[in-house]
Amino acid sequence: MPNNIEQKIRDEARRLLTEKVVDVVVGYEEGTLPLLAAPCFITAPEEVDRLIFDASCKQNLAGYVHALIIEHRKSQARVKPEDKTEKTVAVIARGCTSRSIVIHLQERQYERENVVIIGVPCQGYIDKNKLSDKASGKEILAGKLDGDQVVIETAAGESRFPLEEVLAGSCLTCAWPNPVISDFMAGEEVAPRTTEDEFALVERFAAQDENQRWAYFEAEMNKCMRCYACRNVCPSCYCPTCFADQSQPEWVGAGINPSDNQVFQIMRMFHMAGRCVDCGSCVEVCAEGVDLRTFLKKLDYDDLKLYDHRAGVDLEKPSPLASFREDDPEEFILEP
Amino acid sequence: MSAEVAEKQKTTATDWEPKIVALVCNWCTYAGADLAGISRLQYPPNVRLIRLPCSGRINPFYIVKALQHGADGVLVSGCHPGECHYISGNLSARRKFAFLENFLNYIGIEKDRTIFTWISASEGDKFARVIEEVTARVKALGPAEKLVKKLS
Ligand code: SF4
Ligand code: SF4
Ligand code: SF4
Repeated sequence: MPNNIEQKIRDEARRLLTEKVVDVVVGYEEGTLPLLAAPCFITAPEEVDRLIFDASCKQNLAGYVHALIIEHRKSQARVKPEDKTEKTVAVIARGCTSRSIVIHLQERQYERENVVIIGVPCQGYIDKNKLSDKASGKEILAGKLDGDQVVIETAAGESRFPLEEVLAGSCLTCAWPNPVISDFMAGEEVAPRTTEDEFALVERFAAQDENQRWAYFEAEMNKCMRCYACRNVCPSCYCPTCFADQSQPEWVGAGINPSDNQVFQIMRMFHMAGRCVDCGSCVEVCAEGVDLRTFLKKLDYDDLKLYDHRAGVDLEKPSPLASFREDDPEEFILEP
Repeated sequence: MSAEVAEKQKTTATDWEPKIVALVCNWCTYAGADLAGISRLQYPPNVRLIRLPCSGRINPFYIVKALQHGADGVLVSGCHPGECHYISGNLSARRKFAFLENFLNYIGIEKDRTIFTWISASEGDKFARVIEEVTARVKALGPAEKLVKKLS
């Protein structure tokens, strides 16, 4: 049985496709693993019943919106100007996804008319690492959501626990669970969570001494195998050629030297300054369980503390590195 | 490691001199360095100047890469705010540097490994003072260990 939100998503998707308002609807469908929805691309009205929306839907879909529109444009490079077409994409967007779209719009990647935002109020998604802990690392054979409870089945039997206990870190401190822009809302808006201050993590980390902080960074980055999944999933990482793939100059060495991991991560994160919406998709796709959020959140923190800006929240407010003020803080400048 | 080698390393550590990379803008700081030279001001010989068109041209990656390739300290200097040859290059640079500096400190890189300042073309004496200060600070930290690419 589709839930209330799903029913509304499907109806709206059907309408958009039948009336040919959009070429494709990007959403989530049942995946092949328990409690892990997969992104899907619906192009025919008869297919809309595949669309689902619940706590198993994890990935920020804005990256696909960007890719679909831009790849289509590229494919038109040799088409006569009068015959060129544009791709219009509808997307199921929770708060973070809509903020990534705002970032794309601010960065002039596509026009507002290229995207139809089907907004969904979001209660958070399941963190795969927390779920795996609940299963004591055993394989999860089956799983389902039952109201605010999660039920999983492993070789050791069935267990049941509150969804809250396995929600992703980003969701537990999410201040924008509802889309910041949308063309249609599939459901009532929900209240933001205020259980923990979203920056408590950063403050706790910063309170440690320098060598402890470095030891943690080093240990986390040593886990990284540079598969670049975190970059590939990130909606803000859409560069045609990423520095990590450049060979002239070779910013990141191709070998397995730990310092190259560190450099890759420092620079990718730096590119997220004022552009990371804390959707947690990079954390969720990382197969090595690298704690990226502790570090990404620092950039978010500085974005707010130094420049009073939040990524993707306000279309009118330019990102910190695309603007400046004469009186920006500069305590770090040496004046001997 | 043999005792002999260990001993040798210890002695080299005491005569250790820091290598400092200075990324400077063409219009102000580089000219300031020139003035320091013309005025025959003395300053420590530990810095290697790299001249760029503008502090806005300094890709923060240069700083990170310098540290990775064994610089014990990185100095970044451009025109004072309001005096940029390209009007606002240093103002956007300042934001990049603020993010980078805060981030590097956050992950545990010593604060004095990366130093940012403004030096104008007429401040030859300030250039000499900055180099002295930076060299002293980096010396106090000792050789860089973190982020350094060790080829073994
Ligand atoms: S997804 Fe994880 S392992 Fe892969 S590059 Fe990113 S941090 Fe490293
Ligand atoms: S860096 Fe990670 S959390 Fe931030 S926007 Fe990209 S995928 Fe989302
Ligand atoms: S890591 Fe940086 S260069 Fe690479 S895709 Fe992301 S934003 Fe672009």
